[in-house]
Amino acid sequence: MNDVSTIAGKPAAAEASAARQSAFAGKAGRFVLRLLPGLALLAFWQWSSGRLIKEVYVSKPTAVAARLYELFASGEIFPHLWTTGQELVLGYVIGVAGGILGGYALGRSPRLANIFEPYVMAFYGIPKIALAPLFIIWFGIGIGSKVALAAIMVFFLVFYNVYTGVRSVDRELVNLTLVMGANQRQLSYHVYFPAAAPYVLLGMRMAVPYSVIGVIVGEFTSSVQGLGLFIHEASSTYDPAGVFAGIVILLAFVVLANFLAGRLERRLLRWKAPSGHAPADI
Amino acid sequence: MTDAVLSFNDIGQDFPAPGSSAIRVIDGISLDVGHGQFVAVIGPSGCGKSTLLQMAAGLLAPTRGLVRHRGRAIDTVNREVGFVPQQAQLFPWKTLSENVELPLLLRGVAAPERRTRVAAALEAVGLAGFEQYYPGQLSGGMQKRGSIARTLVYRPDVILMDEPFGALDAQTRMVMQDDLQALSRDAGATILFVTHDITEAVLLADHVAIMSQRPSRLLATVAIDLPRPRNVFEPFKNPGFEAAYEKVWSIFQSQIDIRRRTH
Repeated sequence: MNDVSTIAGKPAAAEASAARQSAFAGKAGRFVLRLLPGLALLAFWQWSSGRLIKEVYVSKPTAVAARLYELFASGEIFPHLWTTGQELVLGYVIGVAGGILGGYALGRSPRLANIFEPYVMAFYGIPKIALAPLFIIWFGIGIGSKVALAAIMVFFLVFYNVYTGVRSVDRELVNLTLVMGANQRQLSYHVYFPAAAPYVLLGMRMAVPYSVIGVIVGEFTSSVQGLGLFIHEASSTYDPAGVFAGIVILLAFVVLANFLAGRLERRLLRWKAPSGHAPADI
Repeated sequence: MTDAVLSFNDIGQDFPAPGSSAIRVIDGISLDVGHGQFVAVIGPSGCGKSTLLQMAAGLLAPTRGLVRHRGRAIDTVNREVGFVPQQAQLFPWKTLSENVELPLLLRGVAAPERRTRVAAALEAVGLAGFEQYYPGQLSGGMQKRGSIARTLVYRPDVILMDEPFGALDAQTRMVMQDDLQALSRDAGATILFVTHDITEAVLLADHVAIMSQRPSRLLATVAIDLPRPRNVFEPFKNPGFEAAYEKVWSIFQSQIDIRRRTH
C-alpha cells in the first residue's frame, strides 16, 4: 500500500495533491492493515472447518452469515432482540445512574464514605454471577431479574470510577473556587462535575461489556425470551451456527455502544485534546 | 498602620504530627497590611508563610489568635480576597475567557458587564486574542497571566499571592514582576505576597516581613523606600537597592546560618 502511494505521488506535478493523496492512502492502508488479521482468522476458520475440525463443532463463517440472514429475514430473532435490548438498556441506565449518584455522594462526603465504603467494598467482592439464581427467585424469570443483574454489575464499575474521580479533584482548585465566591451547588457544577467527567465516561465505557455479561448470564440461568436463551437453545440442540449468529449480534451491540461512548467522550472532553499548537511564550 | 485592611493578631498554628505532640509551625505572629500596600513575606521554607495566606482567605482557622479583614474576624471562606497560587490552577475544562469569567458568574454579575470586564482583564495582562484557548494550549507564563486576570477581574479588596512566580523560568519571571508592579499600581490593590526570593521581595514590596524558622515568629518588618517604578530587570540599578537588600539580608542571614548548622 505504501509503495503504491509513493510511486503514484512522485511524477505528479502538484505536490500538495500528491501529499493529500498519500495521506489518504496512508489512512486507507492502516484500515486495510487493521482488517487483515480479522480476515485471515475468518479465512482460516472457513478453511479448517470440515478439514481440521468437524463442522458440527465449529460451524463456518458462511454458514453463520447464512443463518444470520435467515434469522432476520424470517423475523425469528426480533422478539429475542427486543427483550435483550430492553434488558441491556434498562440495566445499563439504572447501573450507571446508581453508580454516578453513589460514587458522587461518597466522593463528596468523607463522612458518608467512612461509613459506607467498607460495605460497598464487601459487596464488590461477591461474584455477581452467583447472584443470578437468587435474582431469578426475587424478580421472576422475566426481564426484571436480568435488568437487576446487569445493573448491579454496571453499578460497581461506574461507582468506583466516579468515586475515584471525585476524590482526585485538586483540593487547592476547590479552595480557589470557594474564594472566588462559589456556593456548594456552583462548586459541583463548575468543578466536581467537569473534573470527574473523564472518570465517569471511562466507567461508562468499561461497563458496556459487563451489562452484556449480566444480561446473558441471567438469560442463560432462566428466561422466556432473549438472545441468551436463543444461544443457550442453539447450543443444546447442536446448532453452532446459531450460537455464533447470536454471538455476532452481541458483538455488534458492544461495538456500536463503544463507538457511541467514544463519540460522547470526544465531545465532552474536547479540552483534553488540544487542537492546534501552543502559541509562543509572552 | 492603624488603617490596616488585613491584620494578623498574635497568630499561632499547630499541625498534628505523626508522633504524640503537635508541631508548632507558627508561634505568635502579628502583622498589619495597610490599604493599597504591597507587603512581601519572606522566610525559610516550611516556616508557614503560605499558612498565613490560607488563614487570610479563611481556608484555615488559626489554632490561636485572630485574623481580621477590615475589622471583621475571618471565620469562614473570605470572598473579599483574591488568591493567586503557585501553580496557575486554571480550570482545564474551561477556555481562557470562561476561566476569567467564572468569579463574575459566581457572584451574579450580569452578562454584558461580564463580557466587558473579562475583555478588560485579559487586555490588562496582555492575553487579548487568546480567549478561546484552553489552558492546556497556553504556555506556563500565559497561564499565570490568566490566573492573575481571573483574580483582578472581580476587583478583590486584597490579593493574596503564594509564590506566584516560583514555577516560572527566569526571563518570564522578570517580565511578570514588571507587569505585576504596573498592574498593582494601576489597580491600587492591596497585596500580600509570599516568596522565598529576597530580590523579588525588595523589588516589589513597600514592606518586607521576615519570618524565622519553625516555630516561626516575625523577625522584623522592613520598609522599602525605593522610588517607583522600579527596574526589575536590573535590580542593582535602582538607587538605594543595595542598602535595602542589605537590610533585609542582614536579618534573614541568621535563619539560613541556623539551617546550615543543623545539617
